[in-house]
Amino acid sequence: MIDWSAYLVVAFASLLSSAIVVSLYSLGLRLLTTAGRVPVVEPAEFTGAITVLTPKRAAKEAKRARKAASASPLSPQQKQIALMGAYACFVLCSAAVLYGVYLIVPALHR
Amino acid sequence: MDFTLIVALVIALALIFDFTNGFQDTANAMATPIATGAMRPKVAVGLAAILNLVGAFLSTEVARTISGGIIKEGGSGVQITPEIIFAGLIGAIVWNLITWLRGLPSSSSHALFGGLIGATVIGVGSQAVAYDVVLAKVILPALIAPLTVGIVAFLATKLAYSITRRDAGKADGRGGFRYAQIFSSSLVALAHGTNDAQKTMGVITLTLIASGMQDVGTGPQLWVITTCALAIAIGTYTGGWRIILTMGRGLTAIKPAQGFAAETSTAATILASSHLGFALSTTQVASSSVIGSGLGRRGSTVRWGMAGQIALGWVLTLPASAIMGAFAAGLALIGPIGIVLDLVAGSLVVALLFRRSLATRVTHDNLHDIDDAGRVVKIRKTPRKASHSDRKKIAL
Repeated sequence: MIDWSAYLVVAFASLLSSAIVVSLYSLGLRLLTTAGRVPVVEPAEFTGAITVLTPKRAAKEAKRARKAASASPLSPQQKQIALMGAYACFVLCSAAVLYGVYLIVPALHR
Repeated sequence: MDFTLIVALVIALALIFDFTNGFQDTANAMATPIATGAMRPKVAVGLAAILNLVGAFLSTEVARTISGGIIKEGGSGVQITPEIIFAGLIGAIVWNLITWLRGLPSSSSHALFGGLIGATVIGVGSQAVAYDVVLAKVILPALIAPLTVGIVAFLATKLAYSITRRDAGKADGRGGFRYAQIFSSSLVALAHGTNDAQKTMGVITLTLIASGMQDVGTGPQLWVITTCALAIAIGTYTGGWRIILTMGRGLTAIKPAQGFAAETSTAATILASSHLGFALSTTQVASSSVIGSGLGRRGSTVRWGMAGQIALGWVLTLPASAIMGAFAAGLALIGPIGIVLDLVAGSLVVALLFRRSLATRVTHDNLHDIDDAGRVVKIRKTPRKASHSDRKKIAL
């Protein structure tokens, strides 16, 4: 007696939740860059897998990013909207994660 | 041999197993964020330990699968004894050590199930194993989960890249995925607690039931949950320190977007499975999602030989540890002398494990498993625009 639907539930649940969380966060990042606030996050520690940038090179990259952002065709207002959208995406994304955790903890909804 | 002494022995052994489980599995959650530089290794390891502790308290479905499902613990006349569980644990720990020494990828969860099943078949008879539950909650999830998580991670990676894709020369802000990785890898550590810590809880509960100290069909007691949670958390922390010591070796290049997609898929799959009581191998799930997400990047090709090696190690674990468990059970059946022999063999193995854990240079650990999974996918250093042949490669 094997409950095949249970595997389908797991597969769909993980597909759906991953897709939602990843899409929302990616969309948030996209809107953030559109708004001209490109998140530049340096690696916390350089491991073997990360190419170490020289400070000169890093400064050059940052300058290029700033220049690209300032050349945006969007008006300040549009940028503001994009920024709000980005924040909304991040909030929705964390809400989705929290809801997922809430669902799997029996003690929270018994 | 005293009845309560054997129960105490089993509990001690189970906690040691739990410790080694956490010890080997730190990398499941923390290999990808360390590889992308999302977190400092020290922070990552501490966070993983705390979240494993928390996760162990969240859900006890998997523990119930083990204590109330796989082995028929009584009622219908079949009686499993603590000696059998003891033999099963010895089998699992011995197989874990062998795979570790030989550098084979393996799953400590499957070793545990194999050992228990083998010991039960020899010690009680094959009718004591609930094969339908084993098939439904261990073997089929072991085959299906790596496949689905691979597909999920592949699609999630595609999504992450396509949503953030911008014209060449424009900043895409993908470094921002490093922040997200802190949370997604934390979720994986939490999920690990809801699945792996449960396995030991299930074994201890099974022992308590078998020795008549707990009612049939009840879940793990609070002290069992607490000690198991602590054992896996301490194991995670110590294992992490060893990983930090060996970090210089270099890791597969994983990009933040890819790491985030892989971690999210891993966490979602383990959490959903834990919720339904499926006992997954978290190592297999984490490895598969790293492979899947690697395929989701442009210009990726599969190294099939390496993928085959990893898959072989996965398939081998359950039957091999079943044989180990059967041997240990055969010894334990002789009587007290057999148990002492088992114990001597077991403590020798544990002592060896401990000695190896103290060594700075480690030839094989779980970080290696995840890293091997990363190397299964080959990615060109400078991806061009996808040509027709590239698309074919990606489709692989």
